[in-house]
Amino acid sequence: MSFEMWAEKYRPKTLDDMVNQKEIVERLKSFVRSKNVPHCIFAGPPGTGKTTAALCLSRDLYGDNYREYIMELNASDERGIDVVRETVKTFARVKPIGEVPFKIMILDEADNMTADAQQALRRTMERYTETCRFILCANYSGKIIEPIQSRCAPFRFTYLPREEQDKYLRYIAEKEGVILLDEGLDAIYEVCSGDLRRAINTLQAAASLGKPIDAKVVYSITGKANPADVKKLIEITLKGNFVEARKQLREMIQKYGVAGSDIIRQIHSEIFKADVSEPWKIKLAEIIGEIDYRLVEGADEEIQLSALLAKLIEVAYEVKGAKKV
Amino acid sequence: MPQPWTIKHKPTSLKEVVGNREAVQKLVEWVRSWDKDVPKHRAAFIYGPPGIGKTVTVEALAKDFNMELIEKNASDYRTEEAVRRIAGLASQYRSLFSAKRIILFDELDGLTGSADKGGVKAMVEVIQNARCPIVLIANNAYDPRFSILRNYCLLIEFKKPTISEVMRHLKNICLKEGIHTDENALKFIAQRSEGDIRSAVTDLQAVAEGKKNITYEDVSWLGFRDRQEVIFNVLRMIFYSKTCSGAKHAASMAEVDPDMLLEWIYENIPSHFQDPHELARALDAVAKADVYRGRIKRTQDWSFTRYMLDLMTAGVAMSRVSSKPSGWVPFHFPTRISALSKSKEERVMQMEIGRKIRRKCHISAARAAKEVLPYLRIIFKNNAKMAAGIAKWLDLTPEMIYYIAEDEAKTEEIKRLIGI
Repeated sequence: MSFEMWAEKYRPKTLDDMVNQKEIVERLKSFVRSKNVPHCIFAGPPGTGKTTAALCLSRDLYGDNYREYIMELNASDERGIDVVRETVKTFARVKPIGEVPFKIMILDEADNMTADAQQALRRTMERYTETCRFILCANYSGKIIEPIQSRCAPFRFTYLPREEQDKYLRYIAEKEGVILLDEGLDAIYEVCSGDLRRAINTLQAAASLGKPIDAKVVYSITGKANPADVKKLIEITLKGNFVEARKQLREMIQKYGVAGSDIIRQIHSEIFKADVSEPWKIKLAEIIGEIDYRLVEGADEEIQLSALLAKLIEVAYEVKGAKKV
Repeated sequence: MPQPWTIKHKPTSLKEVVGNREAVQKLVEWVRSWDKDVPKHRAAFIYGPPGIGKTVTVEALAKDFNMELIEKNASDYRTEEAVRRIAGLASQYRSLFSAKRIILFDELDGLTGSADKGGVKAMVEVIQNARCPIVLIANNAYDPRFSILRNYCLLIEFKKPTISEVMRHLKNICLKEGIHTDENALKFIAQRSEGDIRSAVTDLQAVAEGKKNITYEDVSWLGFRDRQEVIFNVLRMIFYSKTCSGAKHAASMAEVDPDMLLEWIYENIPSHFQDPHELARALDAVAKADVYRGRIKRTQDWSFTRYMLDLMTAGVAMSRVSSKPSGWVPFHFPTRISALSKSKEERVMQMEIGRKIRRKCHISAARAAKEVLPYLRIIFKNNAKMAAGIAKWLDLTPEMIYYIAEDEAKTEEIKRLIGI
């Protein structure tokens, strides 16, 4: 067993190594052959190979010294306008020496950039197109402003199909000398459903227990690794136990730093699937909208969200009462 | 017998004096002016509320300027004769072989009644003839008894230091004492002291007695000690009041500030409102009070506080329609505040680890903290060898390893394997 992060160790190095996203990989290879790359948007869910594809493309294009020609910036960590203006400009304006006449800027989690920063980015992209090409990685391309989208070639990454994830995990397990049972694979697919990074992290954490990896091991790991599960929060709430629900909410916000807006977004999408009368759904949507707005205004996340949870309990109680009658 | 911290950590130089920069500057300039000639005012009259460092400032001044300080309390100069005895000392600036001299009449408020009348009169004479700086200290310089005295003195007002200035002072003391404290805990002490540094330091020592770690919970009972009942009664009256005015009145009895009272109410609602409709309404009222809290903060218009109070007291009380008090229900301390400051530290640590992961794993620090860290935790708890490999690969510090492993022995084992 090796002692680094497997998700990194087994990250493909070249486009040829990339076993999935076949169509995308083929198009990227044609860029390499022509030594020309347009601005790109790599959109798709996490763990589907967006960053990997960008890195592989760079390596194939520039060779082993590719690091000198690319820059990785993570929009989640530094998403202000100033960073885009300064860092990107400084990097983008100098033409590299070599047979490829441009550098590549990989902007990860670009959908987390503010609209203002994106506007600034758009001008920079235009101005330095000659010397620098941008690859924007994002979960939702919809959050990228239109003028940038129209300047980029879009690539849609999708979750890995079951067989490909299994193949990859089996390969790693064999290399690392870990016993991975079929039921373990089933369980990993169930909880990670095609998010390869998460799947590999799960595999490694499971392997660290030093036991053959079966379904039980996998579930015990994912339970611990996903304390911020909004579904579970809603479940507890609908059982009517407010004190327990608030405790869970508090832990999510304080210990795991889950954003109130993320919680509210998920509650919103669950409401319409819930077993609640139709008129109630729209009433709840209005309440959720009001609370979402309060959060934007800077109200206290926990107080506002627990008021919402109390409301959900009230509704659940009504629904139950109606059924009894 | 341990030394009181008010003495142990007394500022020894003007630099260390808390707040009152302008007043201190005025005093320093006046003392300096003595070097040229006898100034217009031969005495300075320092006044201001208790415990804000008036005496300490004069002592620090004497030390900084290397002057001989002659300090007299009210009991030393009750009578005319006593004051005249001091007069001799005041007749020369430089004592024969020693340093320059400064005379301090402290606690002037302590002079009482007619017996001291002569004392004040004599003091005026002393000042008129003084050849060295004289400083008078009182809480209220505008006391009628001092009316004549004032004419001969440079008046210097000392004001209450701000809460953050008091906090900084407390923090320094904690640092020197090797005590770890919550930011919130210090803030609470500082706020409670209302600018009285002496009482703040005394409170801090009382709470810190025998502890290496002070949490918000430790300090929250300060002043409530033996009076926990007060806040409980207030809550009971708010939760079970049948009228708006009853609930509002209860709030005015509470000694806690509105923010803190909101926390108490918010924390305790669920155990006192069990009917789902009433619970939802009560929390709705609190949430609206919180909205007003935000508006107050944004506009800095404190008059909005009344609506915040209305909603969190009367609004909560009126949520009750039918349910009755169900016997005795305990009240809980609002724990989330103490947890909040802890989690702030925690998030800083998580982000630091996240940045280490980012360097290696092409993923944002925020995302790494959220998505990768939980897996590392499992690995670090179960497999020291793998943990050591990863820790080395990521270049984690011992503190980070400990934070992830959450266990002393495991941390040691991992560190040993890495060889640090």
